[in-house]
Amino acid sequence: MKGVGWLLLVVPLALALLGPWFVPDELTRGAPFMPNSSLGTDFVGRDVWHQVLAGGQTVVLVALLATVSSYLVGVPWGVVAAMTRLRIVDEVLMRPLDLLLAVPSLLVLILVAAIAGPGLPVLVGVVALVNFPDVARISRAAALEIAGRPALEAMRLQGETWWRTSIVYTGRSMLRTLAADLGVRLTGALYLVASASFLGVGVAPDAADWAVMVDRNRVGLFIQPWAVVVPALLIVALSVGLNLVFDRALRAEARS
Amino acid sequence: MHSLNRRGFLGLTAGLSIAALAGCGTAEGPTSAASTPRNGGRLRAAFAGGGAKEVLDPHLANLFVEAARSKALYDKLADLGPDVAAQPRLAEKWEPDAGLTRWRITLRQAAFHNGQPVRADDVLASYARILDPGRAFRAKSSLALIDLPNSRAVDDRTVEFALKRPFVEFPNVLAAFGAYIVPAGTEDFTAPVGSGPFSFVSFEPGKSVLLKRHDGYWEGAPHLDELEFVIANEESARANALLGGQVEYAHDLTPTTARSHAAGDRMAIHRAPNSAVQAFAMKLDRPPFDNRDLREALFLLADRPQLVESVLAGSGQVGNDLFGKGYQHYADDIPQRTRDLDKAKFLIRRAGAEGLTVKLDTSTAAAGMVEAATVFADQVKGSGLTIEVVTGNKDSYWSDTLKNGSLSSFRSGAMPIETHIAQRLLTGSGTNVTKWARPEFDALYDKAVSTVDAAERDAVYREMQRSLHTEGGYLMWGFADWIVGAAPNVGGISTAPANTLDWARFDKVWLG
Amino acid sequence: MSLRRYAARRLAIGAVQVLAVVTLVFLLVQALPGDAAVALAGDNPDPRRIEEIRAAMGLDRPALDRFGSWLWGLARGDFGESLISGRPVAEFLHDGLGPTLVLAVLALVLLIPAAVLLGVLAALREGGPLDRAVTTVTVGLHSIPEFALAVVLIALFGVQLRWLPPTAVGADLLGQPAVLVLPLVVLVARPLCSISRLVRAGMIDALASDYVRHARRLGIGVTRVRFAHALPTALAPAVQQVARTTDWLLGGVIVVEAVFVIPGLGTILVDAVAGRDLPVVQGLAVVFAVTTVVVNLVADLLVFRLAPRSVAIA
Repeated sequence: MKGVGWLLLVVPLALALLGPWFVPDELTRGAPFMPNSSLGTDFVGRDVWHQVLAGGQTVVLVALLATVSSYLVGVPWGVVAAMTRLRIVDEVLMRPLDLLLAVPSLLVLILVAAIAGPGLPVLVGVVALVNFPDVARISRAAALEIAGRPALEAMRLQGETWWRTSIVYTGRSMLRTLAADLGVRLTGALYLVASASFLGVGVAPDAADWAVMVDRNRVGLFIQPWAVVVPALLIVALSVGLNLVFDRALRAEARS
Repeated sequence: MHSLNRRGFLGLTAGLSIAALAGCGTAEGPTSAASTPRNGGRLRAAFAGGGAKEVLDPHLANLFVEAARSKALYDKLADLGPDVAAQPRLAEKWEPDAGLTRWRITLRQAAFHNGQPVRADDVLASYARILDPGRAFRAKSSLALIDLPNSRAVDDRTVEFALKRPFVEFPNVLAAFGAYIVPAGTEDFTAPVGSGPFSFVSFEPGKSVLLKRHDGYWEGAPHLDELEFVIANEESARANALLGGQVEYAHDLTPTTARSHAAGDRMAIHRAPNSAVQAFAMKLDRPPFDNRDLREALFLLADRPQLVESVLAGSGQVGNDLFGKGYQHYADDIPQRTRDLDKAKFLIRRAGAEGLTVKLDTSTAAAGMVEAATVFADQVKGSGLTIEVVTGNKDSYWSDTLKNGSLSSFRSGAMPIETHIAQRLLTGSGTNVTKWARPEFDALYDKAVSTVDAAERDAVYREMQRSLHTEGGYLMWGFADWIVGAAPNVGGISTAPANTLDWARFDKVWLG
Repeated sequence: MSLRRYAARRLAIGAVQVLAVVTLVFLLVQALPGDAAVALAGDNPDPRRIEEIRAAMGLDRPALDRFGSWLWGLARGDFGESLISGRPVAEFLHDGLGPTLVLAVLALVLLIPAAVLLGVLAALREGGPLDRAVTTVTVGLHSIPEFALAVVLIALFGVQLRWLPPTAVGADLLGQPAVLVLPLVVLVARPLCSISRLVRAGMIDALASDYVRHARRLGIGVTRVRFAHALPTALAPAVQQVARTTDWLLGGVIVVEAVFVIPGLGTILVDAVAGRDLPVVQGLAVVFAVTTVVVNLVADLLVFRLAPRSVAIA
């Protein structure tokens, strides 16, 4: 039972990162949605197993890069806004985000992607852009909650530096909320990447990509379900595994 | 959003091989209850549509659902038959003068839904509305040939059209997309009045249009009591609604959906062959395809059966680099091209193009284009030539590829071969993607459209197609079937190519 | 600062936000490749025809000029007319609002109690089988795109088992509630995760916090501490997440409306963007922006009540 989280995480990760090495150079092409020796063929007659091997890399990389970038910008942004003693700084930082939050993210996704054209960097940028105001907002809320704690008041009264009270103590206390958020946010990024194909954003319609596979092969669900089910399960396993492992790590940290 | 792209003509995502069906349209699945015509009932038909574009003005029609609705509510003077040749509709007959510049059209005894007869004045007023210089109706460019000020109503049922130049294919103009006859002076289409087989009951934009049988229809009243058009943009939603008994007719399904449900008892599949051509277009006015050897090499590199199998999921037929397979004037005597890698290699060497990389522009503007480009790039491997697929923006795709690049994906719906030539292959054509501009070819076209004798004219069309086949820029590799699903008890669904009269025509359909 | 003054100030800021959003959307749509004329002209269009359509639509006027007159109209409550069909944009909004509102409101009514319940249960049993089961299910649902979940549910319950209608074609949503079951399940599936996870994390934090421990030492009962003291603090971040959910709901609504054939605002938005029908896109942007601003405002006011310290600075 203990290893379930790791298992769910490692299998799709390993497939995504190592899979491309095992794809034969000469791809065979047959009739679409027909059974073959392994997982059958996909919507343009390619071997589903080869597509599964080749298609994890982009999904994982895009989700990871997008989430990391949104955190790199969002967390400092939110903490600075929460901890500053100048109200004007808080306003200047947070108001433009409210503006971004007021534009539906899918509208942003559709419009920006249509302007910027296809391409994985565009997808990373859009997913990060959609996520970053959220991260900033949650960071600010969490930091404020901590700022109100008696411990922090006590530290202030004892004359600790702004740096130590605001960044070190607060940062550490925020970790739990942020880690809980991070798991969900990575999952959300995976979702956005997976939806991108449905929305026609960022990826070629016949790219070797788990997310694209789920979308494009769904018409064949009744004839050749593996072409949808396998990549979909891999994405789900990755998300669930990630969150279970995070939870465990958090509990371990809390106990120590 | 490819699934929400309602200009998508062929929803081909995947598919099958049941459809080795040559030449003729066929219905698969249960048909027993539908064999004898029966009157009565309401048929609900699901089409892709678009809330914003939906209008009941037949001259504004653009989408398939609008074309189908216009056809139910209105009539044109002529329409395209199963061989994509114009046949008389509201016009009972047409007679040109010897110079082919004055055409006398006799109207049928027909009446609008309000009881008013269809008169010559209605015809002239409808055409005048389409030709209004301040507006941009779709049929305008087709009708531009008519010299309206010099055309006149001879009597209530006779119109005499004056043309700006001799044109024997004038009936193609009368059958132009959107050239419907509306009562003179109509500008308000909230409760449309036409002369078609169904009359208007109610309209909820973006949701549904309800029509009822027009008993006085000149061709005989429809079998159905009522006809309801509903909008479902997603292909899967149309199929599911049909399977769930929420509609009886689902327009434009994928080959995979057809294959998934053809064996069951809940959906009958109707296929209309030769509905859309899939192609690659090479530009002749610039390197590298200004070199004839290289064009021929590309023709010989295409493995057409494989393209049809993977991209059209087997639901179609191979093309022979000519438009309009199965249509009137199609040059079916030219031998089918097949893949010949050795000869292609030789031609590429002779053209000095070994090691050359060519960009193939494509986009998701039409379903299947990107997939076809990828498959073709694979087929070209090992020939000395390399094709690099470049996926461009789908929204500006058609205007981009009209001007830029040297090789691009192309697809087109059904139209008469004459129209295809006039729009795409003359020096002055507006959408000449391949930049095929040859004075001798233009002269042949002028000769064809001014030759009265049918056999002689056919010979000229064939001559033009021979030169296109050997030297042209279109690599037309396949023709896709049009697939419609219906409840098993629906009878009378035609398998004529999409865009022709019998396609999406409901006055001949019944519920068994 | 009093609640009333806070609210008034936020409303004023909200108006500026809406204006900024509308400007942003206008600029974005202007920057899109192709315009309404290109979209209307369809495949292989003749460039001359595109020019004609452009002129007929008034698209040959300068962009700033068109935006100005649209804004002027908006100030007088006039949303303008669709470029493509010529119908008033207000009619589009009116037609689409009903179905979308039904979906969104019912989804929220189901979502909030379910998410809070799951979050609290998981927090009280942190690390136990129940917690892990809740995590697995909610995270799993969160990672599946709506279209994939919808496709599977329809195939199973609509087509194979025939328990529920596979689409809502031609149905009256409130008159035939059966058609709403699958769309609502799909809509609720994703936000359920993020909200319940935040409630869970907040609750765990709160239960471990100094002041809950202090309350326990004072001899206040476990249940009372949990629900009267820990829960409100734990809800603060979750409430803001609920506000964000209106945005997610809209995203979900776009997909759900397409797959289940519900003619709401999502469908209109997609059609309008595809057709470059700028006045309609603009009108929808106004509606969405106003909704988002109001919902976020309400959320912040709620947080103000639940945990006043957290908005003390704002």
